[in-house]
Amino acid sequence: MGFDFNSLLAFIIFGVTIGVVYGIVALGISLIYSGLDIVHFAHGEMYMFGAFFGLVLAHNVGVPYPVALIGAMILTAILGMLVERVFYRRLTRAGGGYTVAGMGMIICGFGMSVALVNAAYFFFGAEAEPFRANLDYIPRLTFPGDINVPESYVLTAIISVLLMAGLHYFLRHTKTGLAVRAVAHNKDIAYLMGINVPLMISLIFGLACGLAAAAGVLIGPMQSVQVEMGYLMLMKAFAAAVVGGFGSLPGAILGGIMVGIFENLGAAYISASHKDIYAFLLLILVLMFRPSGLFGVEAKVKA
Amino acid sequence: MVFLSRIADLIDALASRHRLLPWLIAYVMLLPLPFIMSTFFNSYLIDLANRACLFILLAVGLNIVKGFCGQVTVGHIGLYAIGAVTSAVLSLEPGGFGGALGFGLPVWVSIPIAILVTAFAGLIVGLPSVRLEGAYLALATLGLGESVRIFIAVTPALGSSTGLMMIPAPSIGSFVFDSFTSYYYLVMTAALVGIYFSFSILRSATGRAFQAIREDTIAASVNGINVIKYKLLAFVLSAIYAGLAGALFAHMPPGYLHHNNFTVIEMVTLLLMVVLGGIGNVWGGVIGAIVVTIAYDQTKDLVVYFMDRPIVVQPLVFGLSMVLLVLFMPRGIGGWFEGVLRNRRFIKRSEEKLGGTARNSQS
Repeated sequence: MGFDFNSLLAFIIFGVTIGVVYGIVALGISLIYSGLDIVHFAHGEMYMFGAFFGLVLAHNVGVPYPVALIGAMILTAILGMLVERVFYRRLTRAGGGYTVAGMGMIICGFGMSVALVNAAYFFFGAEAEPFRANLDYIPRLTFPGDINVPESYVLTAIISVLLMAGLHYFLRHTKTGLAVRAVAHNKDIAYLMGINVPLMISLIFGLACGLAAAAGVLIGPMQSVQVEMGYLMLMKAFAAAVVGGFGSLPGAILGGIMVGIFENLGAAYISASHKDIYAFLLLILVLMFRPSGLFGVEAKVKA
Repeated sequence: MVFLSRIADLIDALASRHRLLPWLIAYVMLLPLPFIMSTFFNSYLIDLANRACLFILLAVGLNIVKGFCGQVTVGHIGLYAIGAVTSAVLSLEPGGFGGALGFGLPVWVSIPIAILVTAFAGLIVGLPSVRLEGAYLALATLGLGESVRIFIAVTPALGSSTGLMMIPAPSIGSFVFDSFTSYYYLVMTAALVGIYFSFSILRSATGRAFQAIREDTIAASVNGINVIKYKLLAFVLSAIYAGLAGALFAHMPPGYLHHNNFTVIEMVTLLLMVVLGGIGNVWGGVIGAIVVTIAYDQTKDLVVYFMDRPIVVQPLVFGLSMVLLVLFMPRGIGGWFEGVLRNRRFIKRSEEKLGGTARNSQS
């Protein structure tokens, strides 16, 4: 197989698009981590639930795709807040971070992840369902060298940028966003400043789960929607978050794009059947040699 | 409660004669178990007991790194997989079914090699622990463990989708460990020796170093403990347990191995054992392993029909019970039992000092 510049470009373009979706999930994980000092192991399931909510809204209720996207985000945000309020609050109150409660949180999230996957079987069944979305109004992009980018990929790129811009605006330029950042910085002092900390924690969880849901609905038309899909996404999002520097929001997106490109190039030039391992490989390499992430973001370490 | 204390007293009395005496008695008591099971119940229970023994080895091994040394690892099942597949591939005849590798080594050679390979893999899994803590370490180990399974699942030489078949059983002379009953003696001995060594480790200087690292890494290093060395040692020790359990699992009748045996569900089952038993408590881990193995077996065919869909409820139950255990019983069965024993010993010691008056204050 000779080296073909056009196909390399195509792999990179598709890698970036899928990577942005990893980045959005990683954004949620980073948000929860920087806000609550916990690593949410059940975040992949939020992504899966989001995809299914979107699917049900688009197919069974019959709303247009953008409405399904927003609806799924809201529903998943509510689900996430419920899970956090009912199960995690007891542990987060005991202090997250690397305490004994931190180990409990990891095990708890792990258990929650398995429980949510299997709860999803009750509602959505075990079959992989295709997500049919009418996307004719989106232009199909053609890059030089006859690289056709399907509508769903274009849409993903646009919506991802909008979501990131929205999150950035919310965190940097609104009063509630300031409160969220204060809670992330120090909960005790945030209390003293009159911030409703429990509410902000719910809000952080809701935002993160909403982002995961958006990723799920975006990836639906590219792949089919399936109950088991959360786990691999979680691993890749973790890889993305770690590569970009855990807890850093811009790093999460950059990390996601890197994971996407790395994975696509690996699948193209090394072995396609080992595709899912490359993200882990990147994760482990980065963790071993540069735990603070590739972009030199200072990792938030709490004793 | 009183019954438990009586047993503890008895064990203490026996151990004061010779420290191996309680273990020998336990071993002798466990010998006729397969015959009791097959006469009064059915012989399927023996298979269950074998699997319980393997999970005891795994849980006790996981406890070393997690409970003694306080390192969060969730990739333990990957080590188990490495041990199982290595031993299976080494002992299989060359040119096996479906392009599986085979080296045709005797089983008694393949098992130690598998343990060595797993110990080395444990060293690699442990390497991130030198630089990472808590959540980061969990991520790294999860990634490693899961990539092992995916690698097995997509590599035909390791029996990708069909699994490895006809894995030979170990034998001594003409006696072959190819039935549930004969294999029981192999795994039961291994489990008991494993538990014993786990206690030896806990009580040795190494075990104290592990605990010091768990309580406070910086304080431990200030006190002259080589933190890196002991962290890696904890990972290697637990990998040896996992490798032994995996190798024994591979050669267990019917000698069949599939990568579905190493999924996240197995990892959750293993974590549930350790959490139910109480993290850091050896006997807790053993009890957790037995209870969860039985529960796993009893619930694995449990199907609920919801909107005309058959749904296996077991993972849901296991996941939820793990969440609830962490929330409401963070120290597990072992922690509770330890509390009872400590109270009792405290009362006993006070009695000796005060001359029997302390008994009136407890009831």
